[in-house]
Amino acid sequence: MQLESYLHQYFGYETFRPGQKEVLEQLIAGQDVIALLPTGMGKSLCYQLPGYIFDKPVLIISPLLSLMQDQVDQLKQMGEKRVIALNSFLTPAQKNYALHFLHEYRFIFISPEMLLQPQVKARLASLELSLIVADEAHCISQWGYDFRPDYLRIGEVIQVTNRPPVLALSATATTKVLHDIDHYLEMESPFIYVHSVDRPNIHLVKKPFALKEDKLTWILEHVEKTAGPGIIYTQSRAKTESISAQLLQRGIAAAAYHAGKEMQDRQFIQHQFLSGHLDWIVATNAFGMGIHKNNVRQIIHESMPSTVANYMQEIGRAGRDGEDAVAFLLFCEGDEQYAKFIVLEDLPKEFHVVRYAQYRANGEQPNVMLSNGEISEVAFRVVHYWMERETVDQLKERLGNMQTAKYEEVMAMLKIVETTSCMRELLIDYFGQQVEDKRENCCSNCGVDLSVLLQERVEPKNQNPMTDWKGRLQQILLRNL
Amino acid sequence: MLIQQILLKIFTAFQNERTLSAAFHLLKGKRSGQTIQDVGLFQLHPFFGLLPKLTRGQFDEQVDLLFAKNYILIEENGYYHMTEIGIKQASEALLFHFDGWHYRGNEHVFFARVSLALQSLSHQAAGVKSFIAVEKDEDVQSKVREFLVRNQFQQQTLQMKIYLEMEQSLEKIQVNEQVKTIIVYRLSGFQEPGLTWQQMAFGFHMQEMDIRLMYGSGLHQWLNEILGDAQKYPYLYQLAQGIRVDLMLTSSANETAKLYKKGHSLEQISSIRRLKLNTIEDHIVELAMNDVKFDSKPFLTLEDQQLIINASEDYQTKKLKILKEIIPHVSYFQLRLALAKGAHY
Repeated sequence: MQLESYLHQYFGYETFRPGQKEVLEQLIAGQDVIALLPTGMGKSLCYQLPGYIFDKPVLIISPLLSLMQDQVDQLKQMGEKRVIALNSFLTPAQKNYALHFLHEYRFIFISPEMLLQPQVKARLASLELSLIVADEAHCISQWGYDFRPDYLRIGEVIQVTNRPPVLALSATATTKVLHDIDHYLEMESPFIYVHSVDRPNIHLVKKPFALKEDKLTWILEHVEKTAGPGIIYTQSRAKTESISAQLLQRGIAAAAYHAGKEMQDRQFIQHQFLSGHLDWIVATNAFGMGIHKNNVRQIIHESMPSTVANYMQEIGRAGRDGEDAVAFLLFCEGDEQYAKFIVLEDLPKEFHVVRYAQYRANGEQPNVMLSNGEISEVAFRVVHYWMERETVDQLKERLGNMQTAKYEEVMAMLKIVETTSCMRELLIDYFGQQVEDKRENCCSNCGVDLSVLLQERVEPKNQNPMTDWKGRLQQILLRNL
Repeated sequence: MLIQQILLKIFTAFQNERTLSAAFHLLKGKRSGQTIQDVGLFQLHPFFGLLPKLTRGQFDEQVDLLFAKNYILIEENGYYHMTEIGIKQASEALLFHFDGWHYRGNEHVFFARVSLALQSLSHQAAGVKSFIAVEKDEDVQSKVREFLVRNQFQQQTLQMKIYLEMEQSLEKIQVNEQVKTIIVYRLSGFQEPGLTWQQMAFGFHMQEMDIRLMYGSGLHQWLNEILGDAQKYPYLYQLAQGIRVDLMLTSSANETAKLYKKGHSLEQISSIRRLKLNTIEDHIVELAMNDVKFDSKPFLTLEDQQLIINASEDYQTKKLKILKEIIPHVSYFQLRLALAKGAHY
């Protein structure tokens, strides 16, 4: 059967999006694949379709619980029942049940931690899989923006012989990261599909400020004048709260979003944003994963992101519908210092390594460092992983290199902020690619006319969202009867 | 602010015999021997587990505010003292009533069930078969699934039945309209996402924490209403199964309760158990305090009950001596019984 007919039968689409078919053909031929597809370009379909073509389970390794949940939800929403998420939220009974019937599932999502548990490892070894997928594969690289040491050990689980093809997926990756993915996943001369990272319909604007305080004034005025929907990225939870509160004061439908919000609230915000009840979201970088909203028109970075990859990922949430969108980057002298601070926050320091070694020498469990609050969880994972493989001195040197690399990331971002030539060219160059489709109003340095790109904000009809409770109850239960 | 008033009530109840942390554990609903004992010892049942997601930082912030207002003095060892104006402020009545001890966090399980049931019914009415569930918890999902199937949701009549039950029960409970609004706006339906705490706080010009407390208070009273009348609310009653924790009497009071439910009079129980009538009355009060279904009419007319409640509110006191002076014709037993019943409303 033709790939297109599978596509139509299971997903109802007539044609593939760029890259999907190339990737699928290689996988079906048994070839390992690394696919770099921008978010929103239908990455998931690259492993969902094989799940239907072959009658064996697809194993998807996913680093983030929220992302995993989102993908499970998506599949379930499509009516797929044979899907399971193996993660630390399962009770022992649920886990045993799932493991016992593992072969019955079409899609098995798993966290890297779970993958390494002996019981799970053994069960997987006895299972015939059709495909192994490493989602967000850049997490495997310490050069990537979201390094997860556990990812390095996926290689341990993937058998060398007699294994199904491996598919590594990521939105963006530099050549360095690409090399790490190939190496640590022990891939066999993989087919590499790289989609252009450029998004020509997203126009890049930078806004220099003399004083940090002026940024807020600008944001408030700008959001009051121009139409959303939009996302404002800022770097602290407290700022998301205060900015959103000030927008609300001005009658703008805004909400704060960060990892400290309870699950239910985060879900409400996502639904409201999707359904158009909310115009603006003020978020830390926790927001974005699993947001399938096509018509985001504006992204505002209140401060410089710490890495180019983060920047790319975050502005990439605008203009998925292909229509014009604008990404504003607000900048003030000294922002790079804060970015440096942020980027190092989760990197272990030398004294962490020393402490770790001390605990071990005293015959104590080093993970008391966590309960004592001496170290962040991410940093601990890094130290823990390398201390099992390297000496204290080797690790110190490694950390030194990592720090330098992180600073270089910030400097690369700073270069894009400070350049006087085309911002887009520099941005795309970072990913080892070239701009192919250069349009009008490309960036601040090429010249941007915002009046053609942004609509004026339309005052919402004065709607107090909290009307009488009976009315709303009727709305929920009786309106469509 | 509600949270501060609650803290003052708790601090007062502890009578300087506990550290600040004890109040934190109480509000979080910590299941440790100490906290559980404190609940009984200092009669803090209403406040148990009101804010399960409270962080120490948020708690300390509120304590600092009480300190700044000169309501409490904090000692270095974690103990505290109430100041005179603190004591005075603490005696102000709470505008919201709580029943934390009877629900112990289960009220949120109940709400999760209602929420998922309504989301499902709302989508069904709109002809939408698949949607992303607001509740991920497997237990909640399977309970709601059973509930829908058992009540033949396919006939599409459940929407109206549940609507009527919700309208009637929420109508009936004596809480501020805002509380009902908060509860209903935390629900979701087809193209009707719920509102976040931040949004409600903004809408009502209140603190998020106070909104959460009002919500909790509303759930407690709503549940008491539903569980008090299974006939009237058969559907909500099903969703409220296993939510309330009723095994809460001391064993002696439990003995008395059994005899009482068999139809013995208090005098008979006194002689059967060879205990003073006073003690038996204590048990009855305990029973009344812990059982919403307890009917106090054999001991107390509705008129007298209302008189006592009103007096207690007007004079903002639960002191029996004062109430007795105001309403001399009722007995101390009746006073205690009325106040115990009053704890439910």
